[in-house]
Amino acid sequence: MFINVVNAKKQYGTGEAAVYALDNVNFSLDKGKICVILGPSGSGKSTLLNMLGGLDSLDSGYIEVDGRKITGLSKKALTEYRKKSIGFVFQFYNLIPDLTVEENVQVVEETAQNPLSIDEILKALDIEKYRYRFPKELSGGQQQRVAIARAMVKNPDLLLCDELTGALDTKSSRMVLKFIEQLNREYKTTILIITHNEAIAELADTVVRIKDGKIASVVENAKKSTADEIKL
Amino acid sequence: MKLNKRYLRSIRANLPFYISASVLTMVTLLMFYLFYIAGVGINRYGDEFFSKYNVEDAAFSTFAEIPDEDIARLEKDYGLTLEKEHFAGVEEENFRVRVFSPNKKIDLYELQSGREPISDDEIIISAGYAEENNVQIGDKYLIHGRQYSVAGTFLRPDYLYMVENLSDDYKNVTTFFLAYMTPEEFENQFGSGSINNKVVYSEAADEAGFRREINEKYFMSDYLSADNNMRITFVHEQADMFVMSSWFILVTFPLLTVALVCILLGRRIRAEQKLIGTLSAMGYEKKKLMRHYSVYAVIPGICGGVLTSVAALLLAKPFGSLGLADYEPMKPRFTLPVWVAVAGVVIPTLIYYIAAMLRVRKLLKEDTVKLLAGQIGNNHRSRRVLSHKKASVKSKFALRQLIGNPGRSFVIFLGIFLGAMIVAFAFSFIDSVKAVGEQAHDEFGSFKYEYILNFLKNGAPEDGEAVLVLPYEDKKSRRFSLMGLDSDASLWNLTTVDGQPADIERGFYISTLCEAIYDIHKGDDFTFRNIATLEEYTVKIDGVIKNGYQSYLISSRKNAADLSGLEKDAYNAVLADRALDYSSEEITEIISDTTYKTQMENMMTAMGALISALMIIGMIVCIAALYAMIDTILSENSHNISMLKVLGLENGRINSMIISSNHILLIPGVVLGIASAYAVMAWYCKEFVEVEHIMIPATLYPKSILYTAIITVLSYVISLLLLRRKVDKMDMIEALKDDRE
Ligand SMILES: Nc1ncnc2c1ncn2[C@@H]1O[C@H](COP(=O)(O)OP(=O)(O)OP(=O)(O)O)[C@@H](O)[C@H]1O
Ligand SMILES: [Mg+2]
Repeated sequence: MFINVVNAKKQYGTGEAAVYALDNVNFSLDKGKICVILGPSGSGKSTLLNMLGGLDSLDSGYIEVDGRKITGLSKKALTEYRKKSIGFVFQFYNLIPDLTVEENVQVVEETAQNPLSIDEILKALDIEKYRYRFPKELSGGQQQRVAIARAMVKNPDLLLCDELTGALDTKSSRMVLKFIEQLNREYKTTILIITHNEAIAELADTVVRIKDGKIASVVENAKKSTADEIKL
Repeated sequence: MKLNKRYLRSIRANLPFYISASVLTMVTLLMFYLFYIAGVGINRYGDEFFSKYNVEDAAFSTFAEIPDEDIARLEKDYGLTLEKEHFAGVEEENFRVRVFSPNKKIDLYELQSGREPISDDEIIISAGYAEENNVQIGDKYLIHGRQYSVAGTFLRPDYLYMVENLSDDYKNVTTFFLAYMTPEEFENQFGSGSINNKVVYSEAADEAGFRREINEKYFMSDYLSADNNMRITFVHEQADMFVMSSWFILVTFPLLTVALVCILLGRRIRAEQKLIGTLSAMGYEKKKLMRHYSVYAVIPGICGGVLTSVAALLLAKPFGSLGLADYEPMKPRFTLPVWVAVAGVVIPTLIYYIAAMLRVRKLLKEDTVKLLAGQIGNNHRSRRVLSHKKASVKSKFALRQLIGNPGRSFVIFLGIFLGAMIVAFAFSFIDSVKAVGEQAHDEFGSFKYEYILNFLKNGAPEDGEAVLVLPYEDKKSRRFSLMGLDSDASLWNLTTVDGQPADIERGFYISTLCEAIYDIHKGDDFTFRNIATLEEYTVKIDGVIKNGYQSYLISSRKNAADLSGLEKDAYNAVLADRALDYSSEEITEIISDTTYKTQMENMMTAMGALISALMIIGMIVCIAALYAMIDTILSENSHNISMLKVLGLENGRINSMIISSNHILLIPGVVLGIASAYAVMAWYCKEFVEVEHIMIPATLYPKSILYTAIITVLSYVISLLLLRRKVDKMDMIEALKDDRE
């Protein structure tokens, strides 16, 4: 198993106000797969993703990624882990406004151990022509593609996408999803996608549904659709 | 208003800012307070002490003693109080003592400890010496062949600044003191001793008439008004210097810090523009919003002001005492005037309050849509810099931050500048005083000793070079020496500032100190008068000789003697390049070439604590200012920082990416800080001429420049280290939740 989440618990607040963002979650995923996580707002999806990305720590239970236990690692080791293995894409692109498209990608490329070529990635995402533009000067879909380029340039083992199409229209969404598929195919990147959009689940090898911090169901898709086929 | 619930949370979140803004406000205000308190306290004490113990208006000596029976008549005729003071100078092996028979009318002493001398073998001594040498009541002193026991210590209004000889530049409490014995014992030991006449003029007194009669009847040999007596004038002059410094401090440092805090406040508020936009879109009134934000602004003002007042109350005494280092151990009350304390709280608070109001008002004038999008104040022009160039992302980012945020860059610059300036000023002070010790020797000449004789002699001395030195005064009664030298004199510096040897046979020259005090220059006519006869003379000044320590008019021995109505080969002082064999009866004073150096060193020791205090304050200002500003930068960049953390960049790398652009500001900050400190020192030295009658050359040695740079950089690094954990602690997830740009 590439990802292994065991008895994961995370609680916010105490007493009356206590919220179980993760309530004894068990979940695993093979390498190279696409996994889509669905669930109502507040069900704990982002929490799970943040845990996998080493942004936050569990109250109990543990998480293994690629055979390595990431729960309990020091801050420094977690930073190293993120730097080496994890790519993040968020609903809000979180690009650095003072840097151009190219530079935003470069920030990560400079620190990566085996970076992919920036040119190649920009070309693949069809944003090469915006290279010298600043985030402000791009549409949401274009910005999201820059964010994906930034996440992918280090050639991560695991790409975590939180609502990556949440702020995009159908056309842009499809384009972004097509690229996600392509990454999965070409680089064998394991990809986790959080979404509210049921249609996107058709792209996945595995569909996980979460409710109130618990895994409601795990379904293996018999047949995957392509980004072109799904009805967004 | 629900908005009020934000106060506590927001304050806690921005605690570093509030703390550093308060500390900055406090430290700079405190400097003003302390100097002001010290100056005012000393002045008040001086006034009270002078009037309580009836300080002299003038002291004079005559060749013929004024008969006791004339005194009452003189007092009545001229409207004055006159008293003959009997004293004797005694030189023992380890100390010199000036013994007095107690006065009854003028220059009375105040007992500081112990009691009056009752029996013949008791004395009281000046308190400064007792303190410096840890003299205890009951200690024994052998004076003039008899053993005396110390019964107490005292202060005298005309010796609050314990200068041994009036030509000295600094006090001597290590080897010189004053003493009183019983009148009977004084008479036994010294007879009537030497006599110094003391006079206090009433409002209606006829000073000129009195001086003329004294000269006609008893032949005035010397007349020194209190205005020319450093021992007396120094009290107010130094205190005035403190007050003056306090005003100088007030118009520089607190104003700068207030400006700095205002800028920071403005930025904090701007960072809230989305909220302000949202609230105003929701229908919050402009006034309410302005009031809401002003409350934040008031915090550093009130905290800083109150802290200052508390600190000032606590520190007034110890700090004031630092200001007393030069004086005899007088005990002024150092109190913080209520109005100053109130003003210290109200003024910065009001300024911060207004600054915040204006900032919010300005924001609210902007387009609400822009506010909601958080677009106000984002300067996009600078982003283009280097966008097509190959360079590391880090340096591109750094450069854009620097150019794109002129306000922020200015604030950082200001912090570095202020810190460097204060530290450099402290160094410059030390260096300048040191320079006096080192340069004085050259400016005097190559003599090792100058013997001031008791009497006029004629001809030439067996050893050394003859000098005629006579006191004169200008029309404002300011004293200087008229000196006459032989034209072949080699031991006295006779090189003019133009680099030419002074032709003293033919003309008159003045020292640079004289030039500075009297504002007369080469080619001017100089009118002055005989202090005994008040007869006036005018000479043309042919040049200026570099000497910032003595106020003199110099010419040939013959010219000086002619002017004074003496025989042309008269002399009363001898310069020598080695110790000569004069008996102590023959000379009134020996000046050695190390005298100035020693005096400067003493002054240094006394000022040391004050200087260290200044230096520490400089560093605190620097650290606090930089801390506040870098904290602001980090806060403003919290989104970027969080994202970079998520991307797996190490904290160190993020820190350097965000902050490193500011390193460059160290250069102009330090350079300009040092330059300004030097300029201030130069101004200070100019003022110093009036107070201390000594020209201190404003100096800053390369070593000090280096130290200043190091200390400033160190403060900068310390503030960075203090903030190192801020990046570490920034929440990554928080930042990812909201939209921006
Ligand atoms: N920092 C926090 N403090 C307190 N409670 C939190 C915090 N972060 C999340 N929660 C709570 O944990 C629960 C899960 O949050 P999470 O962000 O994982 O939901 P989500 O499934 O991603 O929702 P959405 O689809 O709206 O993004 C929610 O009930 C939320 O209120
Ligand atoms: Mg979420």
